[in-house]
Amino acid sequence: MSTDRNSIKADLLKVLTEFRDDWEYTDEITESTGVFGDMGFESIDLVALGSAIEDHYNQSLPFAEFLMNATEQQVSDITIGNLLDFLTENLHDGKASA
Amino acid sequence: MSRPIILFGLDGATFTVLDDLVRRGVMPFLGEFIQTGARGTLKSTIPPLTPPAWTTFVTGRSPGHHGIFNFYQYEDAVSSCPRIVTSRQVRCETLWSIVSRASKRCGSLNFVAHSPAPKVNGTIVPGWVPWRWVKKHSHPEGVIDLFQNEIPGFDLRELAMDFKEEEKAVAGNELEDYDGWIDVHVRREKQWFRCLKHLLTEDRPDLLGIVFDGVDKLQHLLWQFLDPACQPDHPSEQFLSTRSRCWEYFSFVDGFLKETVKLAGKDAMVLIASDHGFTGTTEIVYINSWLADQGYLAWSDRATPESRASQGLGAAHPYHLTHMDPEKTKAFASSASNNGIHISVAGVRGEHGIDPGEYESFRDELSRKLLTECVDPESNEPLVTRVWTRDEVFSGPQMQLAPDLTLELRDGGFFSVLRSDVVVKPRVAVMGCHHPDGVLIARGNGIRAGTTLSPTHLLDIAPTALYALGVPIPEDLEGTVIQEMFTQEFRNDAPVEFGPATTAVDESTSTHPADFADEESEAQVLMRLKALGYIE
Repeated sequence: MSTDRNSIKADLLKVLTEFRDDWEYTDEITESTGVFGDMGFESIDLVALGSAIEDHYNQSLPFAEFLMNATEQQVSDITIGNLLDFLTENLHDGKASA
Repeated sequence: MSRPIILFGLDGATFTVLDDLVRRGVMPFLGEFIQTGARGTLKSTIPPLTPPAWTTFVTGRSPGHHGIFNFYQYEDAVSSCPRIVTSRQVRCETLWSIVSRASKRCGSLNFVAHSPAPKVNGTIVPGWVPWRWVKKHSHPEGVIDLFQNEIPGFDLRELAMDFKEEEKAVAGNELEDYDGWIDVHVRREKQWFRCLKHLLTEDRPDLLGIVFDGVDKLQHLLWQFLDPACQPDHPSEQFLSTRSRCWEYFSFVDGFLKETVKLAGKDAMVLIASDHGFTGTTEIVYINSWLADQGYLAWSDRATPESRASQGLGAAHPYHLTHMDPEKTKAFASSASNNGIHISVAGVRGEHGIDPGEYESFRDELSRKLLTECVDPESNEPLVTRVWTRDEVFSGPQMQLAPDLTLELRDGGFFSVLRSDVVVKPRVAVMGCHHPDGVLIARGNGIRAGTTLSPTHLLDIAPTALYALGVPIPEDLEGTVIQEMFTQEFRNDAPVEFGPATTAVDESTSTHPADFADEESEAQVLMRLKALGYIE
């Protein structure tokens, strides 16, 4: 499984769009989409999203450290682009598997 | 099909409240159930806390083995940040998996640390999951679609936990809207009961477990209305109104029990159990402030006495941990729910902390000080009545994830981890908190009627349920079959049979051993969805 930014973006959007209709979010999801402000996530949803991404890549990711190093305000402003940056930095080729 | 076993979980139920509600006629069916069944105290884990307790209930193993110690905990021996627990951290086989391997069918509703749902021969809808993720994290795939189509009134948002609301119970915040709080839980229990009814009528599993957790949530915030010892001599209209609403909730639970017994049939065995009991707490102990006063903990710039950064379950992260300076902190409490203290050891979860060679002497010294110097400044009475080391209560392969010390406070409550100018202060009103003595009440075919049982332990439930199902008991389960619960005739017909040890959970993939059953279960759901025209 490739871990370049474009393929990670495709994977992330796949995870998110799989349930978008159930979540009643119909707008296009882009890198500037706010996870909380736009998609209406609650903070616990971000934890669940992290687990879903880990499942997808079968790889543990330092989500807790990512959140620990951010202020609460920074966390509340997280966008899809921020998540992509984090994933691109932390996913490793060769370790990930579908 | 064998005799069905129903595990009817009431989170936090205590005889202190249940007996009173039976006496007052609020729970008439429970009264009949107790009179014609067996009852006794069910001892909880140390500390008596939902995630380790229910996980002990479903695995028959202690926390040092199954690996669940709290709502948030370290993922492994070296991780530096706690995360909310998931099924991946459960390191022992569950009842659902064991019965699946025995070619029996199971159903599991609203158990904590079951998300994502392990694949079993049957259905698992996990609890403690935000509504957006319940569908993805349930088993088999498509089961929530099936519920939405087959269960009238099914509402996923009402079923799932509202984490913002739940913070109130965990953090012990005061609540103004009592009626709203009760309504949320009545609605939620109705949703879970709809799922239970559906499984009982359509799936007929051999083993079906459910947890109604509103009991715990109401008792946390509304203890003064439920504890008979707290009833005022001259209650106000408002008091009577709120108490009446609380009773309404328990009346619904009584109705659920009655219908469950009826639907399960005359051959069924129904076991009511709680993960822990309940009592009242009248004060708040700010343990991290005491540790700071003693020089064990240093606050960071983020911590102020006013800071109320999320320490509850609704937070993506327990931000209060950033209120401590890791470079200067040697001991700290990370969670308001487990009375646990972690010792920072250099080279374990970072470079900072005490020298590893000093660990035992440091721990012993801290334990001694907690017992003798953590006192009420007014009375000089110790606030901490007992300290356990993790070797004492969490022995096992997962012990490294547990707090180094676990405390028992003088009023039985859980401490706060926030910064405060005082070490202890009284609560505005008595709040409910967990107690080690939970309840076990069993009735049905093979159960002795009108029996009071000797105290049993959560560890005993898994072997007892397997015995009742006729499944050999894995030799590595830590509890014993509660034989005195069964009639002599039943015991004569069914001697206790032991079998091979449980199948290990694959730690690298967190794969549970019953995954073989997945395809069959999913195929059944897909067929029914197709029959409904829901999918092509």
